[in-house]
Amino acid sequence: MPSERASHGLRIAATLGLAFLHLPILLIFLYAFTTEERTYAFPPPGLTTQWFAAAWERPDIWQALSLSLQVAAIATVLAMILGTLVAAAMSRARFFGRDQISLLILLPIALPGVITGIALRSAFGVMDIPFSTWTIILGHATFCIVIVFNNAVARFRRLSGGILEASADLGANAFQTFRHILLPNLGTALLAGGMLAFALSFDEVIVTTFTAGQQATLPIWMLEELIRPRQRPVTNVVAMVVFAATFLPILAAYYLTRNGSETAGAGK
Amino acid sequence: MTVAVEFQSVSRHFGPVKAVDSVDLTIAEGAFFAMLGPSGSGKTTCLRLISGFEQPTGGSIRIFGEDVSRTPPHLRNVNTVFQDYALFPHMNVRDNVAYGLMVKGMAKAARHARAEEMLALVKLDRYGDRKPGQLSGGQRQRVALARALVNEPRVLLLDEPLGALDLKLREAMQDELKALQQRLGITFVFVTHDQHEALSMADSLAVFNEGRIAQIGTPAEVYDRPATRFVADFVGSSNVLPPEMTRALGGPAQWASLRPENTRLAETGPVTGTVTALRYLGSGTRVILRAGETEIAALVPAGQPLPEPGATSAFAFAPDALHVMGGA
Repeated sequence: MPSERASHGLRIAATLGLAFLHLPILLIFLYAFTTEERTYAFPPPGLTTQWFAAAWERPDIWQALSLSLQVAAIATVLAMILGTLVAAAMSRARFFGRDQISLLILLPIALPGVITGIALRSAFGVMDIPFSTWTIILGHATFCIVIVFNNAVARFRRLSGGILEASADLGANAFQTFRHILLPNLGTALLAGGMLAFALSFDEVIVTTFTAGQQATLPIWMLEELIRPRQRPVTNVVAMVVFAATFLPILAAYYLTRNGSETAGAGK
Repeated sequence: MTVAVEFQSVSRHFGPVKAVDSVDLTIAEGAFFAMLGPSGSGKTTCLRLISGFEQPTGGSIRIFGEDVSRTPPHLRNVNTVFQDYALFPHMNVRDNVAYGLMVKGMAKAARHARAEEMLALVKLDRYGDRKPGQLSGGQRQRVALARALVNEPRVLLLDEPLGALDLKLREAMQDELKALQQRLGITFVFVTHDQHEALSMADSLAVFNEGRIAQIGTPAEVYDRPATRFVADFVGSSNVLPPEMTRALGGPAQWASLRPENTRLAETGPVTGTVTALRYLGSGTRVILRAGETEIAALVPAGQPLPEPGATSAFAFAPDALHVMGGA
């Protein structure tokens, strides 16, 4: 029988571990308000909100933000359509090689981003496709599809096949069954998958590096800023925005699906 | 007599597995028809062939004269009460029942009124706003029944409809289903592995074995005059007698069946056996005799003296109780 109270040593270790994981994030927030713009001196010599105004007026940030949102939105929509269709096919049909194909679908998330990136970059090169917003979207869609697929497949497994048959038995055609039975039951799983996919796409760096031309998404812009800093705290302000844009959807996805262990792939 | 469902040498093979193998079957309109058999005997596949979820690999299926062998399920005027009920978990009871009318495009008020009528029919009025998850097993069963009946099918299919209910509820539902069927006059086809259920509810039944129909008839015919050893054994656990035993008892040298309740212990008789077991049944005691390789069960009514295990006894029966079976 497990003891109800953890030992003191274990508690201290756990506290230190959590602090190590999360204090740096708090530091980012703190330095978004510092008055010192060249070094991260601790403690900050003073606090100000001027960097929010500065960030607001930087056109390069707006450009990067809009590109990131655009890429994440389109990649997510693509992933939701394709991922759901693949999941439906995989859970309804039994055919030779099904498990192997399942593995191939999951592979992009298991492969290191560098490999996906290089592979896509050389493929675009061979096919003479110029780098554009669309090449970034394609790169992101490779792993977004997996996230949606994982969520949808888990829900399909839980749905009893009987209700689809019952619907047909009562006179519904395939479209009506999809609209009235399948979609309402898949809804939260798809929403959760979509939010996770959006969040992953929004902060993706590696694949983006290989598939973007001269354009910079928000995370890429941040990397560049760290190398050649101007108004260093502005980077921290942007980091807070990225944090909000990725953390909130993941939190929402968690609450939408916490009754079933369906947020597979959340930890990419 | 109008024929509701007709199978003409229908087969459904899954690769080498002959789930249903050249079955001929005629179900009359208004019948309460049971398909009885052990699991894997092909009875459920036959039901799914009628509903359209399976397509025959050979032969043809007619429903009220119309060949439906290639008609998809949603275009057949047949509805099913599924074994696990398959209620739509995201809809309340009223919308579940009204579903068949909704997909036909009936207006909301009209279909809800109709759904309430159906719910009243199965004694579930006032449950319309509940979700299926808030109902007991017996209530879900009724919702499934109401949902299947709302489309006014000409044939209602029931797949092990009472299998998930406890004994008392099952007996109550048997009576209710029977009454409902007589009131509505719809043809009911139900699948069961429970011989008591089949015998007590159906007015005719088919006994399935290994993808084929072993016998079709009224419950009395199937019970009293089993066509094969399988039927004799599966329906009512009859004594199955090998040819030499039948001859020793005064019949022809063929397989025969003898019901335990028609068999009594006797002082003398052509065959004697050793008492190996006694099973108390309440209304009487079943005594198992071993005569050579054959086991014979006889029924001793309550209040009469019982033999000791290991004792030797003969047995007797009315001459017409010995039913000689043709063929296997």
